[in-house]
Amino acid sequence: MILVPRATSARITLSTFLSVLLALAVVGCRRTDPAPSSDVARSDGAEASKDEGKPKSENESGEIFERLEPFDPPPLDEIDATANWIDQPVAYGRDLLAERLKSHPPLVSEDKALSMKNDSEESNEQIYSVIRQLPKSDDQVDWDATYIHRLPGEANSLNPLMISSVVDFELLELTGLQLLSFDTDFTPFAPKWAIESWQTSEDHMMDKFVLRDDLTWSDGKPVTAHDVAFSFQTIMNPRVTIPAVRSSTQHLKWVEAYDDTTVVIFHKKAMGSWTENIQFPIIPKHIYKDSVDDDPTMENSDYHLRFLNKPVTCGPYKYVSRKRDQVIVVERRDEWWQQDGEKIRPKPYFRQIRCRILVDPNTVLLSLKKGDIESCRVTAEQWLTQTNGKDFYERNTKVRGLEWTEFHVVWNTDRPYFNDKRVRKAMALAFDHQEMLDTIFYGLTDPGRGPFHPDAWMASENPKAFERNLDAAEDLLAEAGWGDEDGDGVLDKRVDGKLVPFRFTLLSSETPTAIKICTLLKDNLSQIGIECDVKVTEWTALQDKALKHQFDAMIAGWGAGTDPATLDNIFKTGGGRNYGQFSNERVDELFELAQAEFDRGKRSEYYAELHDILWDEQPYMWLFYRPSLYGVSKQIRGLNFSPRDPFGVSPGIHGLWKPSGT
Amino acid sequence: MAMAKGFPNDETRKATRSPGFWRETWLRYRRRPMSMLALAYVAAMAIVALSAPAIVGTKPIVCEYKGRLYFPAMGYFNPRWENPVFQRDRFRKRYPKNLLEKDPASWAIWPLVYQDPYRRVRKDEWPGQPANPIGADGKPSLHNLFGTDQQGIDVFAKMVHGTQTALLVGIFSMAIAASVGIVGGALAGYFGGWVDMAISRIIEVVLCIPALVLILALLAIVPKPTIWHIMAVIGFTRWTGIARLARAEFLKLKQTDFVVAARSLGAGQMRIIFKHILRNGLAPVLVPISFGIASAILIESGLSFLGFGPPPPSTSWGSVLYSGRSTIQVTWWLIFFPGTAIFLTVLAYNLIGEGLQEATDPRLRNDD
Repeated sequence: MILVPRATSARITLSTFLSVLLALAVVGCRRTDPAPSSDVARSDGAEASKDEGKPKSENESGEIFERLEPFDPPPLDEIDATANWIDQPVAYGRDLLAERLKSHPPLVSEDKALSMKNDSEESNEQIYSVIRQLPKSDDQVDWDATYIHRLPGEANSLNPLMISSVVDFELLELTGLQLLSFDTDFTPFAPKWAIESWQTSEDHMMDKFVLRDDLTWSDGKPVTAHDVAFSFQTIMNPRVTIPAVRSSTQHLKWVEAYDDTTVVIFHKKAMGSWTENIQFPIIPKHIYKDSVDDDPTMENSDYHLRFLNKPVTCGPYKYVSRKRDQVIVVERRDEWWQQDGEKIRPKPYFRQIRCRILVDPNTVLLSLKKGDIESCRVTAEQWLTQTNGKDFYERNTKVRGLEWTEFHVVWNTDRPYFNDKRVRKAMALAFDHQEMLDTIFYGLTDPGRGPFHPDAWMASENPKAFERNLDAAEDLLAEAGWGDEDGDGVLDKRVDGKLVPFRFTLLSSETPTAIKICTLLKDNLSQIGIECDVKVTEWTALQDKALKHQFDAMIAGWGAGTDPATLDNIFKTGGGRNYGQFSNERVDELFELAQAEFDRGKRSEYYAELHDILWDEQPYMWLFYRPSLYGVSKQIRGLNFSPRDPFGVSPGIHGLWKPSGT
Repeated sequence: MAMAKGFPNDETRKATRSPGFWRETWLRYRRRPMSMLALAYVAAMAIVALSAPAIVGTKPIVCEYKGRLYFPAMGYFNPRWENPVFQRDRFRKRYPKNLLEKDPASWAIWPLVYQDPYRRVRKDEWPGQPANPIGADGKPSLHNLFGTDQQGIDVFAKMVHGTQTALLVGIFSMAIAASVGIVGGALAGYFGGWVDMAISRIIEVVLCIPALVLILALLAIVPKPTIWHIMAVIGFTRWTGIARLARAEFLKLKQTDFVVAARSLGAGQMRIIFKHILRNGLAPVLVPISFGIASAILIESGLSFLGFGPPPPSTSWGSVLYSGRSTIQVTWWLIFFPGTAIFLTVLAYNLIGEGLQEATDPRLRNDD
């Protein structure tokens, strides 16, 4: 299973999903259900309820969040006079990518890359260096091309406010607008196609956005600042059931539209991860302003049903048709990139994108081989065995990269077994990490080295992967008081005068990879006299047990949040997702310090120290980072990996293109 | 029978006693080579299941260590039966080298094949035996008779140890089904009236519940689902056919003279039901039991194939099939061997059932 750091933005929540779905895909599982969204609501509820004294609101679904308090924003000139605005980046995601690609030129010719097999580190790099390129000029692009995308599950809703899964997010990226985008290293920037300027006040309590005046909804009406303010109000309306977005917007105090283009966002407090909270989808005010009160679900009334399958959107693509559980078709909006024959924005690369919904990994790979889809994630086994023949390379090639998504075993530090860090370390020493990497991932990934990926800006360089050492593990266990007093071959220890055998239950999700890791751990631990029962648990039950801390140990994963601050409710004492009930004073302190700091350099020092402490304390046994394994059609270019996956950060799917004449 | 005794005729008295019902059935059954072959196959499977740790394993069957005899292989049946002395001496479940190092005078009798159903055997664990290949490289070879799965675990070991699961599921679940079905059917058939009414309705209700759905539901509720839970559910859902046949037999037999005679002699109801009628009405019931064992094995394999089988690390044929699914185009051995085993076992039970049917049902006898 995969969980994700606090859903301070819909994007993270979505990446949860991504992770869930794709992790499943990695191993050929069947699940696609969007259960984590409910978890988001629940755990945020748990978090919110700690903050005593603030007004709470509980809606029909039982979700608790901080209710919006009425706020009378000061006039604009007053704000402008005192804010000391700092300019923030505004850019086209594609330009940023093009800039970055300058230092990654193609290593071999296109023909060579496409005719070679990806069977080594070197060939992978060569193929990737070609596949990831953007066009050098407009002539190279086949502007009439259709791209067939694979979605790992059906969208929950096409209404942007209802996003809660990775699928919803990918569709929002195609058709919708959020005020901020994130670059590959999670640097936030405002999308230039919608926003003229973005400024932050010196005290980080306000953000001012000036919208472009030439952006229109798909029904022809202009997109204005009032749409932004209205979207925020709707999200915070307790009568409306919002699955995920609210967890980030609840940190905002107010959103005020001063005129058609100027909107100011007021924060409740200055937070280092403030950009997370500005992330919310925008809906058209003129469509929904009168109807939300009649039908707070936004999906049931006849009026709303009209927009359910073909919502009014403002992004580069618009919805054309949808067949449930089969396909969603979007088309390039010509009025989006040109007006009166004049080009006002970069032209989207595809005329049409067909998003096919395919769940089973075997079907997915067969579809790719047949040309029914043009890119997809493949499982490690498929990578190894089913993507080497002519049938695969005839139309496709494959590339791989590494994500930051990490998997781990959570130890419940409240249990007698794992309340001692020496025991937790002994576990990491007893587990055969190399065997896992070799036999379960076939060397396609790296060992886990703490909560941050070694490439991340906030990571410490100190953590080194554990190497198996049973003697050291046994010594540590003996130090911690675990021996075999009753001589039955199973370790035991006197706790409050009672002899407790070292026999714990390890919860696993239903994915084959997780089960394989758990059985390997079981076998490894049995060698030093520890009994571990592996219990395969269904996803929702697993979530429930995690939230209530009713487990000894469980295998899980977190997708990368756009900011390390999102980890605070995982490792901070009493955090909403601190399933293992880990507690360390310095860690708590470091989260506070880093949150109050805005300079990335200083923040990275705090987080690096945090990283070191966590690695030493081992509240988790970190296992591995998820590899991005992709099969792509030879016609596709512009596929770039990211800490999440190729479509998790900007420009994502908008970077893909097809060369003309293929 | 009674008539023969009454005849004061010397000739009949000297004649050999005519075979009883069961003996006659056995004689007829024996004439069917296919059924006999099936019986032999099942018997062989039972032997394999019981002696699995002696056929393939990484723990010695018998060993002498520091002057005492131990049976570490029993640990495959129950971890508790593996003597803790080896844990204390830091054997870490690797016997061959440790035995020699820690007690050069020790000796051991090893299983026929040095492989393990739960883990990958590494290099140099056993003299001259290479590490098990991983991924799609585990083709059947001298060291891995049926190949290895993607993780490098020996398929032969998995199959041999999985035999226990297959046979256990078949026999245990049908034992439950048979007891419930026969008792239910007997009561319904014998007493008739509202008892019959009630039991027949229960049968109809249970018939409506698909076993697979019930098992999936149960696995979600039970905190620690084991193979026994699965067997119990199969047992408690598959008894209806047996009950219906038993009921019909009882309806028929309770009218017969010997029952009337027994009753007139003052036999109690339970005595009549279980001693008199059941003995005579058992034959037709055996047939669905035999078929039931076959279908229980199929259900278990199906569940494992779907990933809902007995919890890890226990092995079953279905779970080997399941592991083969993700690399189906390459690793044929992960499909072929367990598939064949399931097929043959199910076929054997069906042949036994068919043989029983023809041996016991006079209408199907074509030999006289």
